[in-house]
Amino acid sequence: MMEINVRETLRYLGYQGQPADGAVMELIRQCWEELERMASPRSIWREYPLTVSGDEIDACVFRIESRALGKNLRGCERLLLFAASLGAGADVLIQKYEKLQMSRAVVMQAAAAAYLEDYCDSVNEELRRRYEAEGWYLRPRFSPGYGDFSLECQPAVIAALEAGKRVGITLTDSLLMAPSKSVTAVIGVGRTPLACVVKGCEDCPKTDCEFRRV
Amino acid sequence: MGILETVRERKLFFDGGMGSLLVAKGLQPGELPETWNITHPEVLQDIHLQYLRAGSDEITTNTFGANGLKYGKDGEFSLKRIVTAAVENAKTARERYAAERRMQPGAGGDDGPCAYIGLDLGPTGKLLKPLGDLAFEDAYALYKEVVICGAEAGADFVLVETMSDGYEAKAAILAAKENCDLPVCATMIFDRKGKLLTGGDVASTTALLEGLGVSMLGVNCGLGPVQMKEILAELLKVASVPVIVNPNAGLPRTENGRTVYDIDADEFARVMEEIADMGANALGGCCGTTPEHIAKMTARCRSKKQLLPEEKNRTVISSYSQAVEIGSSPVLIGERINPTGKSRFKQALRDHNIEYILREGVTQQDHGAHVLDVNVGLPEIDEPAMMEEVVRQLQSVTDLPLQIDTSDITAMERALRIYNGKALINSVNGKEESMRAVFPLVKKYGGVVVALTLDESGIPETADGRIEIAKKIYRTAAEYGIAPKDILIDALCLTVSSDSRGALTTLETLRRVRDELHGKTVLGVSNISFGLPKRENINAAFFTMAMQNGLNAAIINPNSEAMMCAYYSYRALADLDPQCGEYISVYGGQPEAAASAAGNAGGQQSAPGEMSLSHCIRRGLKEQAQEAVRALLGRRDSLDIINEEMIPALDQVGKGFESGTVFLPQLLMSAEAAKAAFEVIKEHMSSRGESRQKKGKIILATVKGDIHDIGKNIVKVLLENYDYEVIDLGKDVPPETVAAAAAEQHVPLVGLSALMTTTVPSMEETIALLRRETPWVKVMVGGAVLTEEYAKTIGADRYCRDAMASVNYAEEILQKNAG
Repeated sequence: MMEINVRETLRYLGYQGQPADGAVMELIRQCWEELERMASPRSIWREYPLTVSGDEIDACVFRIESRALGKNLRGCERLLLFAASLGAGADVLIQKYEKLQMSRAVVMQAAAAAYLEDYCDSVNEELRRRYEAEGWYLRPRFSPGYGDFSLECQPAVIAALEAGKRVGITLTDSLLMAPSKSVTAVIGVGRTPLACVVKGCEDCPKTDCEFRRV
Repeated sequence: MGILETVRERKLFFDGGMGSLLVAKGLQPGELPETWNITHPEVLQDIHLQYLRAGSDEITTNTFGANGLKYGKDGEFSLKRIVTAAVENAKTARERYAAERRMQPGAGGDDGPCAYIGLDLGPTGKLLKPLGDLAFEDAYALYKEVVICGAEAGADFVLVETMSDGYEAKAAILAAKENCDLPVCATMIFDRKGKLLTGGDVASTTALLEGLGVSMLGVNCGLGPVQMKEILAELLKVASVPVIVNPNAGLPRTENGRTVYDIDADEFARVMEEIADMGANALGGCCGTTPEHIAKMTARCRSKKQLLPEEKNRTVISSYSQAVEIGSSPVLIGERINPTGKSRFKQALRDHNIEYILREGVTQQDHGAHVLDVNVGLPEIDEPAMMEEVVRQLQSVTDLPLQIDTSDITAMERALRIYNGKALINSVNGKEESMRAVFPLVKKYGGVVVALTLDESGIPETADGRIEIAKKIYRTAAEYGIAPKDILIDALCLTVSSDSRGALTTLETLRRVRDELHGKTVLGVSNISFGLPKRENINAAFFTMAMQNGLNAAIINPNSEAMMCAYYSYRALADLDPQCGEYISVYGGQPEAAASAAGNAGGQQSAPGEMSLSHCIRRGLKEQAQEAVRALLGRRDSLDIINEEMIPALDQVGKGFESGTVFLPQLLMSAEAAKAAFEVIKEHMSSRGESRQKKGKIILATVKGDIHDIGKNIVKVLLENYDYEVIDLGKDVPPETVAAAAAEQHVPLVGLSALMTTTVPSMEETIALLRRETPWVKVMVGGAVLTEEYAKTIGADRYCRDAMASVNYAEEILQKNAG
């Protein structure tokens, strides 16, 4: 059971911190309920040795140059590849309402996005605890497509995790994930804690984004 | 002796994992394992040989990921070379093993392992449409190539395995069945809850696979043997063919980038022995298992007695996610997707108004239907094409199984081919010609078929006559290999107004099919009341009588309260509803209203009556907007209502959206309320022979490579509100399709959507093509990654940051065109 996250759902709907009326709140509640029934959150992670020198990152399964990721992984010795998905069920719901009731489709899509983030956070938290117990510290999740961390890394990440058969994530020819409510990310593992753990949104340079967390 | 004979005599043993053994031999991350068939044949031969020595009866070719998406037609690693080499490696291993056995003392009269070569078909790595970008037919074509090469090279059977999507498994099985004569076996990945990744369960998957005629079925990968025991128990309850269990070596974890599994060969073998005792017929391993695992397993299980599953004799149909068993509790088949006698439905078919048809389906589901009948026959339309499209669309919005209802054999086959499950098929009858046409389709695609008890001499007047025809149908079906469980005898009911004994004859037929033939029955219940007033009275009473006489499935209108009341009451009275739980949940606490569980966007109900149309639209109150418009239509002209009430309300909401006081869900709720009100006006106008001119045509498309079209769909809703005719080309649309449609329809405006940086190039390509082929067309673009500047760079006329911006641009362009 995932607790209903109204705040994030509204953020994805572009409310920018403003309150929603009763009808929309009810719609959010109903969508969340349907998601509980239809979504089947699954995740997988695997650990790899990591070498970072400046912007150059060698994570065994891919070797890339990325400023943003280089910064994120500074001081890390290992890398977790991570993938999570709500499964086909969430997409089925969104596509269904796109055909029948668009207002519900947009709320469903926002609710599913919030649901997925919360699910990723909960798995991430479990990983954090597990690693900290052994004296390791995790960096914030960082996904292909953030900053200059190229989407071209997706096939390697998906293949290394066997994400197709383990959690059902596939890639389209244009490297989109299907089902769409899926996440891949890397999580740096180092011996030193970070003073301030900022997550993707706050760390993003696009400050005028309408979905920015406020 | 073939593999199917062997499994009938004793436990059959499959081999174990391949991937981890190749990694141990030096396969690099990112390297395609199938290339080793050619670059390292000796490694593959050795692995196969080790498995044979370990006691495997079959060896699986190293072709798990071999398909046309990864391997080309020509060159060193052409698909044909890869598959042929894989089979050759297996054959070489088998020969070497046979030679070894001959060398052993006392090898004469050897009844040891048989070494069947299984042609491995794994998943394509793509998700099928509509959730992914691979068309069912394309998946079929990919598997077909592999099957043809593999069969030619000498494989003994086809092993479809590690499938987490029943639909993809169907493509593979059909490709195997249609392109070679080898037996086909299929194993799927279930999770701990017994679900496929795409949502199917053990019962629905078994119905699908057995319907398609697999010789064995089962479970592999995903879980270790311990977790698979529960899945196996489920499988054994429903499967009628031998069951395969190929688990991983426990559950995986990573150590330094390497995947390791949590149980060793001894433990694996110990649990596999339990699995053999439970009743698995074929046992092997998957990820992480090695020849050692298999050797220990075969040692423990070799002397176990083989016990084949009994024929379950269950009458089952399925959708992608659930099975519906037609048995003691009556199954309700919703009859509303059918144009007969419905002028609005006919118009929807002519207008290609799929949304209308989908709504009919969803409404029936909300009212309690278990299955949806689909009949789209209309003389002036292309029925096969329409049937295929409606089935595709319906199975993307409902998880109910469908009943394919047509007399057009081409339409029937096209629907059955792309249907994601085991369908009900409506219908065959006792005529030779009908049985010759329909039974081969039932056999090939699987399904339960409705069999009408009529033949060349018409409908028998007596139950005797109908029973005789039922027997003939069973007999003929058997010749095609179709079991009685897959036939529903339609006892036929004709209107009681023309034959007062008609109902009694039908009821007697129902009883006798149940008692004498031990068969299952179905009826189109509503036929009984043709020509009578208050038809529901007769229908509901007859429905109850029919259930009491053994009716197993009823084709009815689930939106009829009387029929649903008969159904719930019967179940309560016939001990089919423990403690009347369902009856109480439906009728308790709502003394007047019946089962109206319609899934409306809730929270909108407020006191009807006095609200203005404008208010209802602004607040997004659908039903109230319709009421308000009905009230106004008596007093005012239609166009006045639109121009003076509705458009200003929509404008107001639109302005609020632009200024940030109204948000997307509200904007769309308003649009939906306005749409509902427009429907009322449209009906009113057409009843007076009036119609309203649309403002102009606009093409919308989500560009090639992009499968997210929520943004485009939002724009569509709003443009339609403002009275534009939207030609929606859908998602993943190639540039050529957009240009051709723009030229053919001579539209002034095209809207394109792209969500990702990776798909913007195909947007650019589409614009370039439009500039060349249809220079008059204006192009507006939108999507998450686009900006004003980016839109300019790729040559668009206008960047629309949201849906209202595209409405404004449309008004600008089309007004200019008009003026």
